[in-house]
Amino acid sequence: MMKEIGEIPQLELRNVTHYYNAKMVLDMPHLSIQRGKIYGVVGPNGSGKTTLVYIMNLLLRPTTGQLFFEGKRIQCDEISRLEIQRSMAMTLQTPYLFNTTVERNVAYGLRVRGIPRKNWAAIIKGALQQVGLGGMAERRARELSGGEIQLVAIARALVIDPKILFLDEPAANVDVRHIHQFEEIIAAINRDRETTIVLTTHDLSQAYRFAHHVFPVFEGRLVPSTMHNLFDGAIKASPDGPYFDTGKIQIWIPQEFSSLSSNHISVNPEDIIVSKEPFASSARNRYEGTIAQVVEQGGRVELVVNAGETFRVQITEHSFRRLELNVSSRIYVTFKASSVHLL
Amino acid sequence: MEYLFEAFGDSINLIFSFEGEIYGIVGRSLFFALTATLMAALCGVPIGFLVGTKRFRGKSGLLTLMNTLMALPTVVIGLLAYGFLSRRAPLGFLNLLFTPGAVIVGEFILSLPIIANLTVSAVQAVDPRAILTAKTLGAGRAMMAWTILMEARFSLLAAIIAGFGRAVSEVGSAMMLGGNIRSYTRTMTTAIALETSKGEFGFGLALGFFLLLVVFSINIFFHFLQVKGRQ
Repeated sequence: MMKEIGEIPQLELRNVTHYYNAKMVLDMPHLSIQRGKIYGVVGPNGSGKTTLVYIMNLLLRPTTGQLFFEGKRIQCDEISRLEIQRSMAMTLQTPYLFNTTVERNVAYGLRVRGIPRKNWAAIIKGALQQVGLGGMAERRARELSGGEIQLVAIARALVIDPKILFLDEPAANVDVRHIHQFEEIIAAINRDRETTIVLTTHDLSQAYRFAHHVFPVFEGRLVPSTMHNLFDGAIKASPDGPYFDTGKIQIWIPQEFSSLSSNHISVNPEDIIVSKEPFASSARNRYEGTIAQVVEQGGRVELVVNAGETFRVQITEHSFRRLELNVSSRIYVTFKASSVHLL
Repeated sequence: MEYLFEAFGDSINLIFSFEGEIYGIVGRSLFFALTATLMAALCGVPIGFLVGTKRFRGKSGLLTLMNTLMALPTVVIGLLAYGFLSRRAPLGFLNLLFTPGAVIVGEFILSLPIIANLTVSAVQAVDPRAILTAKTLGAGRAMMAWTILMEARFSLLAAIIAGFGRAVSEVGSAMMLGGNIRSYTRTMTTAIALETSKGEFGFGLALGFFLLLVVFSINIFFHFLQVKGRQ
């Protein structure tokens, strides 16, 4: 889906599935990533994000399917796997630092690759400076804060100059005040080193903020829409057409969905129109509600609206000011049946 | 109580007497115990590592056996080893019986299960993320094994100290296999047993204090290494 004509994907998955205890947890007919881009894998907890990056980083062997690295199929033997795995690196959701100094932790990948010890100091210094931890080389790893541990783990991955860097929920242990700075560091790594970055997150806005491409994953599958405005319920029929009953509200869905069965739908926040008065349009889904929360981020404003169900809506700052909206404002949210995606 | 104080005073006198025979016994005891511990560590740590990290059929049975071996009385070890090392026994051709080598073999057999068992516990206590992290950084099997051992190093050191404690303090097998030969296989423990049997309780107790002091000093040294490593 991300393949650009004439370019060989850096990493490609074909017909990959993975099972845990006979239960399918991942089903990826095709997924590819290109060199030098940032990819965000988003989805709720348990959606298969971590399994996906573990397979991409060759930590897990998929139950079925093939992986291709720079156009060549990855063989199953230990030597081939190790060779390719050494051109990638990954930080875990809860990174583990070895019980030694920061410097020795960061040097680990260099030791594994047999890089001469005389070259270590400059490489380690460069990596630590890039993540903003210059001067911390002698500190004991176990004395660091959660955010510092995450940064050391990234520096440890950087020293080996990986072609692809996988970051599993990298902001999970980072203080909210430092998230922006942390994202800057990741963006700089991609910009300065041209490292492909694949990060998992359940924070959709984070993924959209700095990823070039977003892979929304739900129940182990790539889904066409994003993970906000995700509703559980059932498809039902009526004389006016099919609708999705969440138990609280009814959401009109396209006619072609009537024969399908799904218990989940989602609505893209950008497809929802906000108005103070009922909006005159052909859109069939319209709900009156109250703004519960307003979050401004990078020229966009995200509204959390209680309208039977909780909707997340994204509008421009200009629209937000023009409509004179605020927390507790009464508004209408309107969207077309075609904006609804079955999951 | 006075008797104990006297023995303690005698042990201090013994230490400062710089008598060749006493220091010979202490030196020999340490040499036997350290050699046996080193050999047991070289075998026990890999055995413990493999048992602790691999899955295989009969693993729980093997662990039970290893735990049982930890409780084996030293005389039983002495008897078994005697059975193998005596002149007409399968290993009689080695001519080890009543030599320092036999004492070391006995102490090795006693230390091995302790070090192996405690190594199993040590490697199983390592955070599973350590192995995953090593893998994400491209470590091969050997490097991953080394990483696990390094993460468990303080517990491994404790295992080796426990093995040394067992070796240096045992008397049964040293007596049976070494024969308590003066200036050759006599160790602190066999000397204590001999002096006590002769009715020289004070001297035996003094040697006992000396033994405690030596072991205490060695443990202080190991503890210092652990503390330094953690800093």
